[in-house]
Amino acid sequence: MATPRRQPTKAQIRHQKMEELVIYPIDWLEERSGLVGGIRYFLFRNVPSDVNWMQTLGSAALTAFLVQAITGVILAMYYVPSASTDPATGKPVAWESIVNISDHLTLGWLVRGMHKWGASVFIILMFLHMGRVFLFGAYKYPRELNWIIGVLILLTGMLEGFTGYLLPWDQTAYWATVVGINLNGTAPILGPWLAQFLRSGQEIGLETLPRFYSLHMLILPGAIIALITLHLYLVVRLGVTSPPWSKDAAGGEPVEVEEPARRPGLTRPVPRTANGAAMQAEPGGRD
Amino acid sequence: MAAIPREKPTRSGEARAEFARYKSDVKTRGKPFFPYAMFHDTIMSLVVVATIIGLAAIWKWSSWGPHHDPTHKGLLGPIVDPPADPGTTSFVPRPDWYFYFLFYLLRIFKWPESVFLGTIGIPTIALVLLIALPFYDRRLERRPSARPVAMVAAVLTIISMGVLTWKGATAKEALASEVIQDVPRWIQQENLPPAAVPGAKLFATAGCTACHTYAGSGGSNLGAPDLTSIGTRNLGIQFQINHLKCPSCVNPGSPMPKFASLGETRLHQLAVFLESSKGTH
Repeated sequence: MATPRRQPTKAQIRHQKMEELVIYPIDWLEERSGLVGGIRYFLFRNVPSDVNWMQTLGSAALTAFLVQAITGVILAMYYVPSASTDPATGKPVAWESIVNISDHLTLGWLVRGMHKWGASVFIILMFLHMGRVFLFGAYKYPRELNWIIGVLILLTGMLEGFTGYLLPWDQTAYWATVVGINLNGTAPILGPWLAQFLRSGQEIGLETLPRFYSLHMLILPGAIIALITLHLYLVVRLGVTSPPWSKDAAGGEPVEVEEPARRPGLTRPVPRTANGAAMQAEPGGRD
Repeated sequence: MAAIPREKPTRSGEARAEFARYKSDVKTRGKPFFPYAMFHDTIMSLVVVATIIGLAAIWKWSSWGPHHDPTHKGLLGPIVDPPADPGTTSFVPRPDWYFYFLFYLLRIFKWPESVFLGTIGIPTIALVLLIALPFYDRRLERRPSARPVAMVAAVLTIISMGVLTWKGATAKEALASEVIQDVPRWIQQENLPPAAVPGAKLFATAGCTACHTYAGSGGSNLGAPDLTSIGTRNLGIQFQINHLKCPSCVNPGSPMPKFASLGETRLHQLAVFLESSKGTH
C-alpha cells in the first residue's frame, strides 16, 4: 500500500525556487566554461597541514602588487606624462600634475603615497618570499621552472621601479635616470642600443617621459601579470611544499607508506586500475 | 606477459617517487586551502595593506614644514622635489633605495679599468647564478641543517647586499656649499695658478664633485675617477672641453652626463683648472 504523498508546502516550493534561481547561473557558467569547478578546485585543494606563516609571503607580495595595480590605475587618470613646460607657470606639466594629485585631489596624497611606498613593500616582499623559497629548498624538483619565473617577476618588478622613478619628473628622478640610462649604455653590444631606445634619442627629452610611462603602465605590467598568472598556475599544479623540517610531506605524523608507483608520464605507460580506467596522469590533476 | 624491466634507482627516479609520495600524502592527509591556509594569507594581506597605508600617512603628515612647504623633508622624504631642470648641473644622482647595492658597487669599481665589473659584470653574473640555482643545486635534500653550503652562500649574499645597500644609503653626498670651502686648500695643495681659480670654483659648484673626488673632496660615485692629478696626463684644453661637452663621444660608453649647457666660457675655465691639476704636493 503506497503511503499518500504529502503535498509540499508553499514555503518549501518557494525555497526550492530560490535555490534554483541561485544555482541556475552557476550551473550555466560551469557548463560553458568549467570555471566554477576550477575555482572550487583552487579553494578546496589540499595543502600540507603544517604550512608555515612564512609561506604567506608569496600571497602578501601578490597583495602588494594588487595595491600597485589599483592605485596605479587611479593615478593614471590624473597624471599627465608630458615633459613640456606649462606656459602659465613655467613648470613641467608632469611635475605639476603630481603636485595637483598630492595637494588638491581628494585623498590624492593617499593614492600616490600608497603607490610610492607600495613599490618598496612589493620589492621587499618579493625578496623575503624568495628567501623563504630558498630556505625551504622549494626551488628543487619539480619546481625549477617556477623559480625561474619568480626571478623574472622580481626583475620585472625592479624594472617597474626604475621606469616609475622618472615619472614625477623632478630633479632626483631626472638625474638618477640620466645616469641610470648611461650605465645601461655601457653594456656590450646591446647597451648603446638599449640606452638609445630608453631615451628615445641621444638625450633625455620630451619623448623620453611618454616612453617610460608606456613601459611602466602597459608593457611591464602586462609582462608581470602574465608571469604572476603562470607562477600561480604552477603553484596550484605542483602543490605547496611542506616545511623541510616536517617529518612527513603531508605535515602530520609519518605513516608506513607502501612502495609508491612510478610517476606516469608522456614517455612511459600509464598504469591502469582494475576497471581499466587510466590513473591520474598529471601530478596536479583534478580530484 | 613480459614483466617491464625495473629501472635501477636514479636521482630523477628518486625525485619522482618522492614527489608522487608528497602528492598522495597531501591528498589524503593535508587540509583544504580554504579556509585554513587562506585565513593566514588574508591576515598577512591585511597587514601588508595597513603597512602601505601607514607609510603613506607618515610620509604625508611628517613632511609638512612650518610654512606648509611640500619640499620639507619629513621622516620619509619630501612630498615633491623641485621640478626636473636639464640645465642645472649641481645634482646628486641617487636611485630608489632598492638600487643602492648597484649604486654602491660603482664606488668600488672605477672608470675606466674596472667600471665594467660594477655596471654589467657582477650584476649579470649574480642574475645568471640566481636563475640557474635549481640546475646546479640538484640535491633533493631540503632541510637547511643538511645544506651547509647553500645556507652559508645565502647568509653571505644577504650580508653583502645589506652592507652595499646600507653603504649606498649612508654614502656622504658632496654638497656644493661644503665643497666650495675646500677651494683655498686646493689652490694651496695643488699649487694652482690664478688662471685656474675660476675653474676650481666652478668645479666645486657645478656638481662635478657629486661623482668625482678631488684632493680629498667630493663624492666618488658611479665609477667616476679621481681628478686630483688629471693634469699630469696632459690631455690638452681642447680635449677637456670636448669631453665635458659630450663625454661619451670622446670615451665611448662613458656614463658621465653632458655639460655642454655650461657654455664655452665656463667650459674653458673648467678645462684650464683640470689641466693645471698636477697632483697635491
